[in-house]
Amino acid sequence: MSFLQSIKNTVRSRSIHVSYVNVGSCNGCDIEVLAMLAPRYDIEQYGIYVHNNPREADILLVTGAFTPQWEDKLKSIWDKIPEPKAAIAIGNCPISGCVFNRRGSFVDPPVAKHIPIAAEVPGCPPRPTEILNAVLSLAPVVFKDYEEKQQ
Amino acid sequence: MGTSITYYLQEMLRGEWLRKFLFVKTAPYETPPHFRDYPRLTGKECNRCLNCMMICPTPGAIEVLKTEEGWNPVIYPGHCIRCGLCVEACPEGVLMSGRILESQFYENTGYSYTFHLTVDTTRCMRCGNCSVACPINKEEDPQLAAGGTGANDEVIMRVKGGELQILHEEKCTGCKTCEETCPNSAIRVARVIEAIHVAEEEG
Repeated sequence: MSFLQSIKNTVRSRSIHVSYVNVGSCNGCDIEVLAMLAPRYDIEQYGIYVHNNPREADILLVTGAFTPQWEDKLKSIWDKIPEPKAAIAIGNCPISGCVFNRRGSFVDPPVAKHIPIAAEVPGCPPRPTEILNAVLSLAPVVFKDYEEKQQ
Repeated sequence: MGTSITYYLQEMLRGEWLRKFLFVKTAPYETPPHFRDYPRLTGKECNRCLNCMMICPTPGAIEVLKTEEGWNPVIYPGHCIRCGLCVEACPEGVLMSGRILESQFYENTGYSYTFHLTVDTTRCMRCGNCSVACPINKEEDPQLAAGGTGANDEVIMRVKGGELQILHEEKCTGCKTCEETCPNSAIRVARVIEAIHVAEEEG
């Protein structure tokens, strides 16, 4: 492993910037993402920063069952995130549509049809610890030795 | 003033304080055992009454499937919202989650259900198919013939005076035969669930 790569690994392990996007959720999962920021769970001590700007983000947290208004917009948000990047589906809605996925409702789950999803956190809503565990266990898989894996 | 600055400097240059300030983390949050998690099997035998599937508020979250061990409910995590209603509704205690079963046992709570029949009079053609097909009607009045008219007033529903009368809703077992035989989707069977508290018997 090159020296430059090891520096990048160290830096990336302590600085994961997270951006979240609500594609038609009931706000429950967004509240759980906010609860992670509170001192009880405190994601910043693990080096995860919620930073709602896709151009500066590494991980995109997607909540909600994908309403038609997001058809083109979610893809453009995903394209704005610089490599290396990953998307995590938070809650049941982006996985299956859950209670909203009924006959006559205008949702189009799963979100994996629209952007590549790296991890899914089931739950309605998932507990903050579950979201935290997902981010922490996904980050080394995606970001460790990223440049060497590309070659 | 000078003493207080030196006091602070002394205090903050202690190795212990610096280590705590820079590296300490809050204890990882353990999920308490009484939290409702995805329902798990208790190992008791499932008798396939499907109460769990009927009470589930989410499409596709629970299914009763046959495996080598026999019939058992299966929970799908991407759909289940961990409300715990299936655990409460199961009469056999096949599922468990958190302390729902314990509190149900101590507080003597449960669910009772009745069936409610609604007829959309603008769609109903008074053909009487529902009254003839209903298996309870057949027991009560074997004479109830095509047209669904009859003099017996012990039946669940009958056609009388150009109207479909619902007489004994409480006899309905929820088989939905009337819904299936109705050519115009005019009759609907709804399951009305009521949470009940069984008072302890005195003496």
